[in-house]
Amino acid sequence: MEDLFFLQPKVVSALAKGLIVSIKLIVPSAIFGSIIGIIVGALGVYGNTAIKKIANGYVLIFRGFPLVVQLFIWYFGLPYIGIYLTPFVASVLGFSLCSGAYQSEYVRGAFLSVKTGQTMAAKALGFSRIKMILFITLPQAFRRALPGCGNEIIYLIKYSSLAYMVTCIELTGEGKIIASDSFRYTETFMVIGAIYLIMTSVASWLLHRLEYRLQLPGFEQYS
Amino acid sequence: MADTIPILRIENMTKRYGDNEVLKGASLTINRGELKVLIGPSGGGKSTFLQCINFLVKPERGRIWLDGKEIIRTRKKEINKYRQKVGMIFQDFNLFDHLTALHNVRIALVRVKGMSKEEAQDRAVRELDRVGLKGYMNQYPAELSGGQKQRVSIARALAMDPDIMLLDEPTSALDPELISEVLDVIRTVRSDGMTMIMSTHQIGFASEMADEFVFLEDGTIVETGPPEKILLNAQYARTREFCSKITELYGNSFS
Repeated sequence: MEDLFFLQPKVVSALAKGLIVSIKLIVPSAIFGSIIGIIVGALGVYGNTAIKKIANGYVLIFRGFPLVVQLFIWYFGLPYIGIYLTPFVASVLGFSLCSGAYQSEYVRGAFLSVKTGQTMAAKALGFSRIKMILFITLPQAFRRALPGCGNEIIYLIKYSSLAYMVTCIELTGEGKIIASDSFRYTETFMVIGAIYLIMTSVASWLLHRLEYRLQLPGFEQYS
Repeated sequence: MADTIPILRIENMTKRYGDNEVLKGASLTINRGELKVLIGPSGGGKSTFLQCINFLVKPERGRIWLDGKEIIRTRKKEINKYRQKVGMIFQDFNLFDHLTALHNVRIALVRVKGMSKEEAQDRAVRELDRVGLKGYMNQYPAELSGGQKQRVSIARALAMDPDIMLLDEPTSALDPELISEVLDVIRTVRSDGMTMIMSTHQIGFASEMADEFVFLEDGTIVETGPPEKILLNAQYARTREFCSKITELYGNSFS
């Protein structure tokens, strides 16, 4: 780095552009993934037999197919039935659905950890099923699922790099361009890796803050 | 005290789990202001019977009338309405772990009854005061003793203004020295005129408070009658056997 390659405006701006695209991919994917995870997780616990089967089937498929294959299907496969997605939309769709499948398993486990006595008490007070889920079990399940779901979001940050496989040029994609232009593969990907490390560190710090803020007596995650 | 229309009437209730017939056609009628105590060996169907009364467990057969009106149990909304009028106290308290004592009492008032938050808050504070826990409003269940938790759960049920309360062994999960604080609260609620069906092994307390004992064994109501009759002069040998064992253990107020 004797010639300060990574301080060249061209390189810095390319990396910044890539980083912004990455963040634009990660944030909505994390939000949609979490929403899907909560809904599918709740259906997997409280749905009737048919709905449970659908929820399980979703998890089976979206956890079972390699993410790259899913992205290829959304981006290269859907045009065969006349649906054209931009690389960005295909990527967010693929990440959300895949992340949602993983999230739903954490959420499902968390719902199951709420003692059945509490659901009985809620029913006995006249709560409808949906209100019981919203006001009694979800607030507890959410707290219990948070460490696992946080883990999944950290993972999402890293697999967002797969977006460049469907030509959505995010951080890794920009890095690949810089690297092949300059032949500085090692340095480039060291820098890229460091940026991901910073992103995951920030995310994990935020998630810990959230866990801490939601902590209640009886729900301690830290000793 | 007794109305002509019973507040709750249960007719011929049955429940089976697989091959195991837990309730074999139990019927019970209770008038406003009465306390009926279910006694009988564990596994005899007391809990199942109470849980069938508010459909927490779905009975196979059986009809229920609340205040003369039959409850159609295929109508979910009707069941939710009915449950608001039937308070339930569980052996394990079943407080909502993520809510303070105050919010445990308040939540159903706001979310089920649709009260305003302020109104619900006032009511919840009043009920907590009634069970002697005004000073513990902001504690979470994890910070309360078993007796305190059970008192919160009683306040939570009372706040709904139920027509009747079902108490499923309310003191069985408590340390001996915590039992009396819960029994005291039940005594107060009873003297305020609440109609109750309670299963318990606290035979001394029950015989002092109950209008009637209902001896339930093997899914069948074997015998009913005033406490002193059941305890001292039961008709059936099986009832006598059970009562002599339980009075030996817990004592009774007639001997």
